[in-house]
Formats: sequence, C-alpha cells, structure tokens
Amino acid sequence: MKGKYEKVAIHSGIIVFLLVTLAPLAIALSTSFKQPGDTSSPLKMFTEFSFESYKTAFFTMNFGTSFLNSLITTFGSVFIIVILASMAAYPLARMRGKLSKFLYILFIAGLVIPGQMVVIPIAQVFDTLNIPSNRFTPMIMFITCSIPFSVFLYTGFMKTVPVEIEESAYLDGANLFTRFFKIVFPLLSPATVSVVITQGIWIWNDYFYPLIFVSKQAEMSLPVTMLNFLGDKENPAQWSVLFAACILCAIPLIIAFALLQKHFVSGISSGAVKG
Amino acid sequence: MESNKEIKLGFEKQSMLKKPLRSKKEKSLVMNNRLFLFVIPALLIFSAFWIWPFLKLFTFSVTDFNGFNQNYNHVGLSNYQSIFKSGILTTSIKNTLIYTVLLVVLGNILALILAMALNSKIKGMGFYRSAAYIPALFSAIVIGFIWSYVYMPQSGMIPSIMNMLGLDGSNFNILGDYKNALYGITVVDIWKNIGQTMIIYLAGLQMIDDSLLESASMDGCNSFQLIRYIKLPLLAPSITINIILSVINGLKAFDYPFIMTNGGPGDSTNTLMFSIYKMAFTEQQFGKAAAFSVVSFIVIIIITALLLVVMNKKESEME
Repeated sequence: MKGKYEKVAIHSGIIVFLLVTLAPLAIALSTSFKQPGDTSSPLKMFTEFSFESYKTAFFTMNFGTSFLNSLITTFGSVFIIVILASMAAYPLARMRGKLSKFLYILFIAGLVIPGQMVVIPIAQVFDTLNIPSNRFTPMIMFITCSIPFSVFLYTGFMKTVPVEIEESAYLDGANLFTRFFKIVFPLLSPATVSVVITQGIWIWNDYFYPLIFVSKQAEMSLPVTMLNFLGDKENPAQWSVLFAACILCAIPLIIAFALLQKHFVSGISSGAVKG
Repeated sequence: MESNKEIKLGFEKQSMLKKPLRSKKEKSLVMNNRLFLFVIPALLIFSAFWIWPFLKLFTFSVTDFNGFNQNYNHVGLSNYQSIFKSGILTTSIKNTLIYTVLLVVLGNILALILAMALNSKIKGMGFYRSAAYIPALFSAIVIGFIWSYVYMPQSGMIPSIMNMLGLDGSNFNILGDYKNALYGITVVDIWKNIGQTMIIYLAGLQMIDDSLLESASMDGCNSFQLIRYIKLPLLAPSITINIILSVINGLKAFDYPFIMTNGGPGDSTNTLMFSIYKMAFTEQQFGKAAAFSVVSFIVIIIITALLLVVMNKKESEME
C-alpha cells in the first residue's frame, strides 16, 4: 500500500523524535554507570561500567526497605480501590434515579480538587480519628484520591454489562452479593485492569502524600527517598549517584511494563475510550 | 412461602419470555434500593477524607490558623483581602493558565502526530510505541532531577550540546530566567505526558475501520483530507478525553515548580497549587492558604465548566 519513501520517512521521523525525547534518559542511564566523583561530561556516553554509584545510591536510599514500602502501599491501595470502586459503581450504573445521579456527580467532582488544597484539613481529620502517622497512612489518601476516577471508569463499563445476566442468576436463587461478586465483577475485568494500571502507576510514583504523612526514614517509599539526593542536583561530581538513584527508583515499573505491556496499553486506553 | 416465591418467579419468567427486549426505562425487579448498600464504604471514605476536609477549607479561610496551633482567631475576610492585594493571585492564575494552555495545545498536537506516525503498519512499530511511552513511567520527582541536569547552566545537557554544535551555551539558563522559566517546566510536563496521550490517540485510531479509509482514498481523498475529514472527526471522543485530562493536569500543576524551581525565579513559576503549598507549609499561614484554595477552586470550577460546555458542543457538532 505505502510507498517505499513514505516508509523511510516515517521510520526516520519517529527515530529522530525518539532520539531527542529519550536523550535525557539515555544520558542518565550512562552516567549512572560512572564512578562517584567522576566529573567527565555526561555526554561522553557509556565509557565506563562501574556499579559503585549504584552501591552508594542503594544504601543512601535504603533501597530494600523503601522498595518494600512502595510495594505494600501500592498493592494494598490498588486492591482496596478495586473492591470499593467497583462496589460503588454498581448502584450508580444500575439504578436510575436522582440519588444515583447525585452520588455519581459527587464522586466525579472529587477529580477537580487538588491534594495540595486539602492536605492540612485531612491531617486534622486524621488527628480527630486518632489515625497514626506511619507507612500505611498515605494509603488512605491513595484510596480516597483514586475513588473518583475508578468509580467513573467502573460505572461507564458496568453499563455495558447486560442486566439480563443478573436476572437469570436471580432466578437461579443467587442473592445480591453472590450476583455482584460472582457474576458482575468478573465481567468487569477490562475496567479492573484499567484501574489497576492507571492508579498503580500513579500511586507507585506519588511522593506528595508520603512526604506529608510519613516522617520516619525507614517507612518512606521509593520516590520520597529520592529527596535525599536533592543536594546532588547542583553538583556534577554527584550526578552518577543521583542518576543511579533515579534508575533504581524507576526500574521496578519499567520491568513491570516490559512484562505486562499488553495490559498497560489496554489499561490506559480502554479507560479513555469507554469514558 | 416456598410456593409464593415460585409463583413470583414463574410470573417473572413469563413476563421475561413475553418481552425479552423490554425498554431500558422499565424497572428491573432485580434492581432494588438495596443496591445502594454497595456505595456506602466508598462514600464513607470519600466523605471523611475528601469532602469534609474540603468543606473545612471555607471555615479556615476566615481564621489565622497556622496549621498546627489549635488556638486561632477569626479574622473575617482579611485573608481574602491580602490575597487580592498582594498580586500573588493574579500571577498564579496567569502562570497556571499559560501552563495549562501550552500543555493542552502542544501536548495534544505532538501526541496526535506521534500517534498517527505510530499507527502505520510498518515493522518495528511495537518497539517504537513502547519506547515513546517510557517517560510516562517515571515518577515526577525522578523526572525533575533528570531535567534539572538537562537545563543546568554551563555543564547541563543543553548548554553542553550547544557548545558542541559551536553555539555559545554559556548564557543558557532557562530556569534562572524570569521570562522563560515557566516555559522550561511546561516542556518537562509535556515531555512526561506525551506517551500516555499518544496511547489514547493510538487506541482511537485503531478503532477506525480500514475499509472506510480505503474507500475514501479510492474516491480521491488525499492524506490531508483523510486526516481532516475522516480521522479527526472519528477521533472526537479521544480528543475530548485527552483535552480534559490535560486541562485537569495543567490546573493542578505542582510537581515541577516544587522540584525544579521552587516557584522562582521571583514568582515566575508560582502556579496556583504551588502558591497554596508555599503559604501553608513554608510560610505557615494556613488561613491564608485556605482562602487562596477557595479562590483557586472557584477558578478551576469555572474553567472546567466552560470546557465541558465547549467540548459537548464541539463533539456533537462533529458527529
């Protein structure tokens, strides 16, 4: 169909675009393999392969513990969001009335409130409810902030699940909870993938709530430990360590993306197309 | 009881058989108000940790609360007065609007072009698509660090490359430049989001029926006409969602002023959210920050509402 020249043009256009956009990441990667204190220009790429900088970064950011903290908070939050949001979407998608419309708009409206505005009143609510400050505290905020988008997604998707399936289950004697968890929920798996991927990426990468609500070094998640390197930003001698830390922080998600690429792509796009 | 239930079920079975394709408006027997039990857990959490704190903003906005000390006084509308007087509000609104418009316009145009290129049926596209998506996987904090190096005067990536190309890179200092710092951080956000925006456009493009494009090109449509009259109208839903996502992103802009510029130089990269953060945490004037939040919220609501009205109109026009 397409001419040879057109193909070459598209290829080269894309390659130039990618080279330009990915250059900062490539330079960060190559510099991370240099020795700490190496002041040679980062533009001289892949001249050295030393893991010294990684060693330093690994210990400074307390990688093992903070990785585990990130893992627990991300998986824990996503798991709870999936259950809460899919349940909440059930009446919103199935009931037609003022109440369900009101609740739907209430949830969606939450999307436009930024966390920076409400974080101090939230800290007060935590105080009143005697919620302690530890590695699990940010999970409350992750779950809360994910509710609007997830409910929106599940509601849109649930409307495409035919009511007749539930009606026949009802005739077979299935009660409300069995019907939802055994019949409706499994049919929502594309929406679940979408919620897990989009909210998972956001939660894994978020530094704001952990920064506010976690104070002990040992309870911090990966992105927050990056703040230990804030001083290295201006010092070229420390860039190899700083970039090693950047790569260490990003690598878990990149591996997840490499393994689950199809789910990532469908998760990100299906939410948007359905909505 | 047993027989009663059977009769009921039998009755419903019959009615279902009679009218298998009943209208959507009709109430289903299965869907009763007990369904609303399912919304309670999410609603409780959402109200306690989002709606309630949000409403508290209004009460704090008329106090001199510093964020910690619970003995605070009511100060009337003085917080609002000082915000409007100091000029920080206008600057923040202006900065946020510039940031948002650039993010929406440039980000979407670039992502759309990229998606169209990546939609060609050519070998290697899978790899290119993944590569283009990679920046979206990085945490804003990591991206802030990497781009601080890119922009750094003297030894950063851009000045070094300028020197290599024989240009004078020694004067390059975009983040230290009052006029250009805002554009500098906007570029970073565009760069981060392009992959995700591209994936949404790509999914939209892949839903377009190939035979439609083929018959149009047989009827003599050139590539530009194919894009203008077939692809873009069919992409309307993807365009809508991407624009809404970018606008929300832009209005909430906080990460890069926070990580890269600290709002400076001067107040040139102070966005609405960064100003709120600075007032609440650095200056410890939470009352003032709350008043600022209330005003920011009104601004955000007005922009979002306008956007939704325009989008609805446009989308229905295109269909």
